[in-house]
Amino acid sequence: AQHFIAATACQEPDYSWMIRHYCLKQFQLSMEGIGQQLWCDWDETVGTYGELTNCTVLIAERLDCYWPNRQVDEFFVAVHRQYFRNCSPSGRALHDPPNGVLCPFILLPVLVTLLMTALVVWRSKRSEGIV
Amino acid sequence: MRKTTQSCFLLIILLIRIVPSLSSTVNYTDPTLEPVVTENSVIRQKIIDSQFKCYERMNRAPPYKKKGLFCNRTWDGWLCWDDTPAGRITAQNCPDYFPDFDPTERASKYCDETGNWFRHPESNRTWSNYTLCNSFTSEKLKMAFILYYMAIVGHALSITSLLISLAIFFYFKSLSCQRITLHKNLFFSYVLNSMFTIAHLIAVVPNPGLVKRDPVSCKVLQFFHQYMLGCNYFWMLCEGIYLHTLIVVAVFAEEQRLHWYYLLGWGFPLLPASIHAVARARYFNDNCWMSVDTHLLYIVHGPVMAALLVNFFFLLNIVRVLVTKLRDTHRAESNMYMKAVRATLILVPLLGIQFVIIPWRPENRLAGEIYDYIMHILMHYQGLLVATIFCFFNGEVQGALKRQWTQYKTQWGQRRREHCSTRSTSYTATSITEVPVYLYHHDSNNEQLNGRYIEDSELVALKSGETSA
Repeated sequence: AQHFIAATACQEPDYSWMIRHYCLKQFQLSMEGIGQQLWCDWDETVGTYGELTNCTVLIAERLDCYWPNRQVDEFFVAVHRQYFRNCSPSGRALHDPPNGVLCPFILLPVLVTLLMTALVVWRSKRSEGIV
Repeated sequence: MRKTTQSCFLLIILLIRIVPSLSSTVNYTDPTLEPVVTENSVIRQKIIDSQFKCYERMNRAPPYKKKGLFCNRTWDGWLCWDDTPAGRITAQNCPDYFPDFDPTERASKYCDETGNWFRHPESNRTWSNYTLCNSFTSEKLKMAFILYYMAIVGHALSITSLLISLAIFFYFKSLSCQRITLHKNLFFSYVLNSMFTIAHLIAVVPNPGLVKRDPVSCKVLQFFHQYMLGCNYFWMLCEGIYLHTLIVVAVFAEEQRLHWYYLLGWGFPLLPASIHAVARARYFNDNCWMSVDTHLLYIVHGPVMAALLVNFFFLLNIVRVLVTKLRDTHRAESNMYMKAVRATLILVPLLGIQFVIIPWRPENRLAGEIYDYIMHILMHYQGLLVATIFCFFNGEVQGALKRQWTQYKTQWGQRRREHCSTRSTSYTATSITEVPVYLYHHDSNNEQLNGRYIEDSELVALKSGETSA
C-alpha cells in the first residue's frame, strides 16, 4: 500500500513538464494575440493571467499535487521574467505618490493653517486698538 | 489621531464586507486552512492581483545575501513571503480578501532549521498560519456593529441637542453677544458635520454595490465630509483664538471684528479639502475615496492637528492667566488649583483637546476595546457634550428659560435684559462656577457673595481685582 500511495503522489518533474507543455502554450498564444505593446496593461492581460493560474491549479489537482508549490513559483517567476520584465512593478495597485510629491501636499496646508491663525490673532489684536 | 480614525474606519470597512455575508471559502473543519480556488470573481480578482504583485516582487528583489540556511521566497496562494532565515517565524498582516478576515491580525509562516518552509503534519503540505485572521471575527463583528450603531445614535443625539441649542440662541435675542455668535457658528458646523457623517454611515458604508459603482456623488460627499471636518475643528480654533484675545491679549476690551473668524472657520477649510480632493483624484483614486490606507488623508488631518495644537497652547496660556489672576485675588491656595482644573476641564470639550491627549491605541485586546468605546463616545457624542455644557448648563440660558417659563405662566410681557455690554466681559463667568468674586463697586463686601453662583460679574470682579491691586 505504501508503494501504491507513493506512485500516485505528486511527481514534481511531471508537474513541471505538464504546466510548461499545456498551460504555457495557451498563455503564449493569448499574449501574442494581445500584442507586446499591451503586455504591461493589466486590464488587458488580467484575464489571460487568470487562465494561466487556473490551468496550473487544474493540473495540480489532476496530478494530486497541492497548489501552489515550488514548481509553480519557479514557473511564474520565469513567466514574469519573460513577459512582464519592463512593466512598472507597483502600477497595478493604488499607492501613495512619492515622498517628494506627498510632503509638499501635506506641509502646505499645515503652514497655511499656522499663517492664517497668526493672521487672525494679529487682526483681532489690531481691531482692539491695542498694539 | 490617525490610528484612532484608522481603527474607526477599519471597523466600518469591516462592516462593508460583512453585510452581504459572504464567508471565506475556507473549510472550517479543515485544520490546514489552505487556499481553495474560489468562484467569487471579486475575491479571485484580488487574489490574482496579489499573486501578480508577488511574482513581480520575487523577480525584482535582490537575491538572498546573508549567510546560513534560508527558506526561498514563495507565494502560498494568498500572501507573498520573502526569503527568511532558517529557524525564524515571519509574519505579516492578514489579507483582506474575505469578509471574515481581519486585516489587522497577523498571519505567520515558520521556516524550519533545515531551510524549508513548515509543512503541516497532517497533510504534509507547506502551510502558513492564517488561523488568527478569522478566529476573533465574530466578536469583532459584534463590537463593530455596536460601535456603528453607537456612532449613528451619537450623531443623531448631537444633531438634536445642537438644533435645540441653536433654537434657544436664536429665540432669546437678549442672549446675543459675540461669543454667542461664535457658539452659533460652532454648533452649526457640528450639525453639518454630524449630518454628513450620518449620511456617509447610512448611505455609503453598508452599501458595497454603491462603492463598486463608484459614482461621482459619493466622492463629492466625501469632499464635503472632509470640508465639514475641517470646519468643525477650525471653528473650535476660532473659539480658542477669541478666548485668548479676550482674556490674554486685550483683556476685557470692547467688541472684536468677527470677519476674520468667519474666514478662518468657514472659508479656510476649503483649502485642505480641495487639495485633498485633487491629490486623491490624481494619485489615489479608489472607489468613493473610502480607503484610509493613504497618507494623503494627512492633507486634511495635518491642518486639523495643527489647529488643535495651537488651541492647546492657547488653552494653557489662558489657564496660566486665570491661575495668575486667581492668585492675585487673595483666596485660599487650595481653592485656586481646584478652580483652575475645573476651568480647564470645561474648556477641553470646547476645544477638542482630547484628540491631542489620547492618540495611541493600546495593544492589549481588552484595553483596546475599552479604548475604542471611549474614543467613539468622545468623537461621536461631542456635539451633545458641547451643546449641553455651553447651552443647557449655561447660567444665562437657564435664567432666560426660567424667565420665559415664568412669563408664560404668568402672562407677563418679556422685559428686555440689560445691555449686552455688561455681560460681554463675563465670558469666563458662565464657564467657571463658584469662583471667588468681588463686586465691581469699590465699597462692596464680598462676604455676601461667597459660595453663591455668580453669573455675570466674575470678569468684572477680576478686573476690579486688577485695578485695585
